[in-house]
Amino acid sequence: MSRNTSRNMLPAIREALLREGAITCYQGYLTEELLHALAQTLRTALALEESPANESRTLFTLFVEQAQNIVRYSAASLSGCIDGELHELRQGMLLFGRREGRPYLACGNAVARPDAARLEASLARLHSLDAPALKMLHKQILKEGPPPGSKGAGVGFIDIARLASGGFDFQFLDMDENHVFFVLTACF
Amino acid sequence: MEAIHLEATKRTPGIAFDFDANRFAISGESYPEDVNKFFAPLVQNLEQHMERLEGATVSFRFDLIYFNSTTAKILMGLFETLDRCAAAGNQVNITWAYAADDSNMQELGEEFSEDLEHARFDMMKKE
Repeated sequence: MSRNTSRNMLPAIREALLREGAITCYQGYLTEELLHALAQTLRTALALEESPANESRTLFTLFVEQAQNIVRYSAASLSGCIDGELHELRQGMLLFGRREGRPYLACGNAVARPDAARLEASLARLHSLDAPALKMLHKQILKEGPPPGSKGAGVGFIDIARLASGGFDFQFLDMDENHVFFVLTACF
Repeated sequence: MEAIHLEATKRTPGIAFDFDANRFAISGESYPEDVNKFFAPLVQNLEQHMERLEGATVSFRFDLIYFNSTTAKILMGLFETLDRCAAAGNQVNITWAYAADDSNMQELGEEFSEDLEHARFDMMKKE
């Protein structure tokens, strides 16, 4: 990379983000500590903007669920021992912005190909359900336990689907032969 | 059983479990790094205690600002434990407090309460 392009990269990225109405964008390794700090920062920013309390709380909830998905499941990870202690860093992207005043939250991370198919099927199913059906499914999974492969309660996506009052959508983009890039956008 | 008092942190709820008085409260925010590690000992103590109760009056207050989806599973389990305790002949009073402008927390409380068959459930709107 020439010195010129590296010098011009940030403004170009910034412009692209501004076109998308981005307010906050993070790309890199995400940890629990960082998730917490970013979520608190979002909360403070929304309070300073005097966003309606209900909207702020919902955005906070959506943000935490999306960020936790990256911390728990991203397939782009770096792990190893430092001074005998195991460290695992998982990489992903988080984006918060507003389009025509309407807030949206997007997250993106690598997933292994076999997982992508399962993920896509379950998100497509959630997409087709109405509010009462989502509520029933939410309760059912909380009671019966999470689906295999889940590291939490298995209801994170259902929560996102229920809270995204402006709808949600998802994409799976080819990365390499073993991975796809998964993007989930929740609108409010 | 020794009472349990934990101060709330930014990520973990305040806990006030007074076993002798059968008064219990959970308040604040809950998205711990490891939800099960935080809640497992609390839930275990509570379940052991509830199983032994006969003809007791139990009060349990939820006063939460935010909890993540993994915590929701723990709360669902608590509601089941409390309802079993009531089914065994104890008087169990659950209070779900929520901020007046927090319709989401109000709905979450209503959803948890739908499956209660024996425990008494009250919503408490905080102005």
